[in-house]
Amino acid sequence: MNSRERVRLALEHREPDRIPLDLGAGFQTGMHVSMVYALRQALELDDPGTPIKVIEPYQMLGEIKIDLLDALGADLVGVNPPKTMFGYKNEGWKPWTTFDGTPVLVSEYFNTQVDQNGDLLAYPEGDKSVPPSGRMPQGGFYFDSIIRQEPIDDVNLSVADNLEEFGLISDEDLAFFGREVDRLYIETDRAIYANFGGTAIGDIALVPAPWLKHPKGIRDIEEWYISTLTRRNYVYQIFEQQTEISLQNLAKIFEVVGNKVQIVFLTGTDFGAQDRAFMSPKTYRDLYKPFHKAINDWVHENTTWKTFMHSDGAILSLIPDIIEAGFDILNPIQWTAKDMELKLLKERFGDQLVFWGGSVDSQGTFPFGTPEQVRAEVLQSIRDLAPGGGYIFNSIHNIQPGTPIENLLAFYETIQEHRQYPIVT
Amino acid sequence: MTENMTTIYNSIIEGAKDETLVSVQQALDAGLDPGKVLNEGMISAMKEVGRLFEEGEFFVPEMLIAARAMQAGLGILRPLLVDSGIEPVGKVVIGTVKGDLHDIGKNLVAMMMEGAGFEVIDLGTDVSPEQFVEAAKAHQPDIIGMSALLTTTMPSMEATIKALQEAGVRKSIKVLVGGAPVTDAFADKIKADGFSPDASRAANLAKSLLT
Repeated sequence: MNSRERVRLALEHREPDRIPLDLGAGFQTGMHVSMVYALRQALELDDPGTPIKVIEPYQMLGEIKIDLLDALGADLVGVNPPKTMFGYKNEGWKPWTTFDGTPVLVSEYFNTQVDQNGDLLAYPEGDKSVPPSGRMPQGGFYFDSIIRQEPIDDVNLSVADNLEEFGLISDEDLAFFGREVDRLYIETDRAIYANFGGTAIGDIALVPAPWLKHPKGIRDIEEWYISTLTRRNYVYQIFEQQTEISLQNLAKIFEVVGNKVQIVFLTGTDFGAQDRAFMSPKTYRDLYKPFHKAINDWVHENTTWKTFMHSDGAILSLIPDIIEAGFDILNPIQWTAKDMELKLLKERFGDQLVFWGGSVDSQGTFPFGTPEQVRAEVLQSIRDLAPGGGYIFNSIHNIQPGTPIENLLAFYETIQEHRQYPIVT
Repeated sequence: MTENMTTIYNSIIEGAKDETLVSVQQALDAGLDPGKVLNEGMISAMKEVGRLFEEGEFFVPEMLIAARAMQAGLGILRPLLVDSGIEPVGKVVIGTVKGDLHDIGKNLVAMMMEGAGFEVIDLGTDVSPEQFVEAAKAHQPDIIGMSALLTTTMPSMEATIKALQEAGVRKSIKVLVGGAPVTDAFADKIKADGFSPDASRAANLAKSLLT
């Protein structure tokens, strides 16, 4: 059974020969560049000092090459937008070194400046003539957005200001997606996961728009959260128009990629904190669900793609509505958050949702635990989520820097040993 | 509760900033005691906001707008409180630890602390152990609150506690920690005095530690 078939069966809630494994198909299921380096060294895939490409500079995600997928038996490959969070393409690679000393390669447009604190500043489109849009604290591992919020004039606030980044897809980008999907479909037998961009409404990571040189509208994170209440109509209109644009784009993209894509990433908007959802089910129903449903409906009526939603945190209260909105796949299943018990989620929603992730506690066990604890949590996730199919194994969010390599090796060794169906753990 | 006080109370809970400003001003113009406006109007409203949050009626946005309304009202009230010699219930120095730039949670805690009657000195984000020590010496707070969102910056909490010890100021200060990856067990391990999973309970915890 090849990877594509394995993933297809799992997505149809059937048991394949073994549990499909994802590493790095999407920007929430990958690995920090320092960890990719450490893992490749530990697996002896590279000579010491061999740099790793940074494929997403904002989160500093490392490239997961096919040889690493082969070594781990991973079943998915990803197609992601042609431009990074800082609005430039990954091309013309140049060497760079992270604060922790990892040798990496970055895009030729990765232009940075060290400020008086020793922090690293990044620029939209790599253009140092405009104010910086990202900051990595000295010694840090990722960028955060620098909030560039112009004074808000409620009388003249225009929905178009918050829609600058959502336009009709260019022929160039369309050709890129067509080319990439064809290449991966022919060169590999892995399932294709695609993030075409533009479909995530209200994603707080995207609101500050670090790729725009002069973002207008509401770009401050706190102000955005408040606006979901105080400027509800404004936010609703942004979502409405963004959805209209994304539906037009999806139709165009489908024409060039067809059903070679198996999974489409639709949203990474986080709806959960550690101990509760960020909003009531009513707010989800009023403000988000109509648009989630419109996009899911279009996908299901026109394609065979399965739709993927990422949300961290405690979102049990929203899951029935998320299912009604039409999502097929939920990621990452942060079981340490309140009421997110794997076994109960599987019992209650396992016939309607594919679970993707749900393995090792990324906030506790992975960075601070032992290999034995990692092993136990991998086995627990297999026991709770794998029976009957409907499960893709992955970490809970990207593997973070500072994860001991022994823990990472224990993670992959354990899934290799126990991924055969029928499940025996 | 007088009519003025009810309006202040309700407008804070509803997050109506302009109404809060107007009603606080009207209460003062009517000759109400600033301490009474603070305690019966504002602090009691924020207590109710905290209760609504803990019970799942309010979410982060509701809490943020209520806190902003409260802060606006406090802006008018603060100079009068100082003039009347009304002391805050305690002093808090707060910040997000070194290497971490995330501040929504920390800001909410700061606002809820203010709403509980504390004086809050907010050091911002990416605050080094040395900066916490300096602030501890300069402001002599009752409480230091530290926040972290990233697992990679949690060790800075422990480093800060050690730095406070080495500077000889740890004993006179209660240290509270919070943030998404932070747990009770972690707080115990690094010898903090308390952990709170959310902003509302952080303010309650701070108060309980002072009594």
